[in-house]
Amino acid sequence: MTEFSIHKVWIIAQREYLERVGTRSFILSTFVTPLLMGLFLILPALITASTARGIVRDDARAARIVIASDNRALAELARGELMRQRGTRYEPSVVSPASPAERERLDQRLDAGEIEGYVWLDGPARASRHVVFATGRTGDFVLQRRLGDALSYALAAQRMVQQGSSAGEVAAALQPVDLTVVRAGKSFSVYNALRGAVVVLILVFVMFFSLLSYGVMVMRSVMEEKSSRVTEVLLCAASAQELMTGKILGTGSVGLTQIAVWFAMAAFGASRSPYLRTAIEALDVGPSLIVYFVVFYILGYLLYSAIFAGVGAIFNSIDEAQQWNFVVILPLIAASAMILPVATSSDSLSSVLASLFPFCSPILMFERVAVHDPPQWQVALSLLLLVATIGAALFISGRIYRTGILMYGKRPTIRELSRWLRHA
Amino acid sequence: MTPTVELLGVRKSYGGFAAVDDLSFAIPTAHIFGLLGPNGAGKTSTIRMMIGITEPDFGSVRIFGEPIRRRALRRVGYLPEERGLYRRMTVGDNLVFLGRLAGLSTGTSRERIDAWAKRLEIADWIDRRVEELSKGMQQKTQFIAALLHDPDLIVMDEPFAGLDPVNTMQLKDVLVGLRAAGKSILFSTHRMDQVERLCDSICLIDRGKSVLQGSLSEIKASNGRRFVQIDYEGDGGCLAGHPLIDSLNDYGNHAEIRLKPGADSQELLWTAMRGLRVIRFQVMEPSLEQIFIDRIASRDD
Repeated sequence: MTEFSIHKVWIIAQREYLERVGTRSFILSTFVTPLLMGLFLILPALITASTARGIVRDDARAARIVIASDNRALAELARGELMRQRGTRYEPSVVSPASPAERERLDQRLDAGEIEGYVWLDGPARASRHVVFATGRTGDFVLQRRLGDALSYALAAQRMVQQGSSAGEVAAALQPVDLTVVRAGKSFSVYNALRGAVVVLILVFVMFFSLLSYGVMVMRSVMEEKSSRVTEVLLCAASAQELMTGKILGTGSVGLTQIAVWFAMAAFGASRSPYLRTAIEALDVGPSLIVYFVVFYILGYLLYSAIFAGVGAIFNSIDEAQQWNFVVILPLIAASAMILPVATSSDSLSSVLASLFPFCSPILMFERVAVHDPPQWQVALSLLLLVATIGAALFISGRIYRTGILMYGKRPTIRELSRWLRHA
Repeated sequence: MTPTVELLGVRKSYGGFAAVDDLSFAIPTAHIFGLLGPNGAGKTSTIRMMIGITEPDFGSVRIFGEPIRRRALRRVGYLPEERGLYRRMTVGDNLVFLGRLAGLSTGTSRERIDAWAKRLEIADWIDRRVEELSKGMQQKTQFIAALLHDPDLIVMDEPFAGLDPVNTMQLKDVLVGLRAAGKSILFSTHRMDQVERLCDSICLIDRGKSVLQGSLSEIKASNGRRFVQIDYEGDGGCLAGHPLIDSLNDYGNHAEIRLKPGADSQELLWTAMRGLRVIRFQVMEPSLEQIFIDRIASRDD
């Protein structure tokens, strides 16, 4: 009974594909997800533009910050610099001189909610450049960074003035650097490079969620056939191998269809939106990146769907499988935790190792390819390891699958599982 | 003539528990065979080995005169104990899918599905999802799925479970027609009363072992004619302690009697006529169920 019929695999895959592509949930997730994603990207810009034109009024209160110093000139410099920061709304004011009684009053105003924070810039603070910012808004890291920048600017500017520089000289010396990012001969502003990074992150997250959801879909589908006894009917006409192969290919094609639709929507969006176009240009998304995405997606999907098919055959219900699912998903979660470290230091030892690990490489090696050309041998090695692991996973899962799909009732023990592996 | 199915000394255990234990039987061509037994007797385990889903630990299973191979399984139709359909697909899509998997073209599948659906009166339900169907409708759909590729051996696990009497009759008629067309049919059931008039031969199993098998008429003859019912007027006490009677349930004007082995019911009739006014005297054919219970009881003694 070892014959393997491609025709039967095709019939099984076709059924699997058509059953899923026709569902409302597929259509919803395919078309609504990118719209939501787009909305989240566009909405803040839209609101800013509307408030600027006075169409919408944003009643969020500007942060009232008091800069207290016995050196009024310095405090005014810091205040001016803070006001100059674009994209944020602060309402800085100056209190001078700074006495202990004044500090008590500021604490009271802070408690009463009359101000959002104050900077205590007395003599010792200036000398040690160690400044206290008292505030209830400890989470506003943008404000903290900008305040730090403004104070550094003020201290530097004042020292230059004391040393005899004119206001013009100070402004020229302390003007921020405008960084231009150049990649492969094309140049971008920092702002556009950031957009590129956002696109990479979106692609990586799409990979992550797609691998997870379509892997789980294979598992559910195996369980459904098992518990409805459809498996028994199918096994009269097809082998367990044909069933599993058809199921994996059919469900995988659904995932690829979804991604193809998303790529098409992105291409359409790029043709309409300059924002998206610059992002995609910044990223250097050429055909090669899409090829990498598809290759890593297919390989990652094969790996996880093979494992999930085996898990589905072991258990009798979703509830039962839930706790063990976690073990399978763990490397995916680990990979998702590595997404940001890999983005910022793509060549660090931990990034390299994680991107070679087959259970993470579909996500992390793709990310490295997207953000920074890794050495060719590393890409080749990760693909090799991934393919070898897929082979092993298909072999093991195939054996568990063909025994497991006919076992009902009690969950098998580890010893029984290893017997399935040996004897099947 | 080679039997369609032949089991020889088949044994199958699951984790130390013998689900099927040294079971042998044969099913000739154009024959309806009943595999009977209580729940958990090993019926489903036996069936699974006959359709190549599992293999026996010991013994051999042959269908159409050969060990089971994929090619031979194309000539087998199988109806599992419950469900066995994709709930969210329509009846028609389910059947076309199974028909194609069994080797039919889409067109042929549709033609046959239409014919069967008309015959079993579910034509109006073809475009409905399986989950919208009643249990009986689902059972009919499964029935069609098993027969679509015109198999020579039809294996059905509890085919009448959950069916009302009208539908049961309809499916029984189909099975009788298939037998006339030369097909062999095996079905399992724990409802022995459902099969008495349908099976040519049976195998009763309990705890994986064959308890009783053979043609239905032979079984009835060899186990039969030991049960007598008498309706009477008078004092039934004269029957008590009669040497021919094995057991007696006397209800005052109605008595149910089991005779000792080899006893002649005519002698009992003489006795009754001497002491009572006999209104009705009937020698009962034992039900399969009664025979089965007797067998189990005598084996456990």
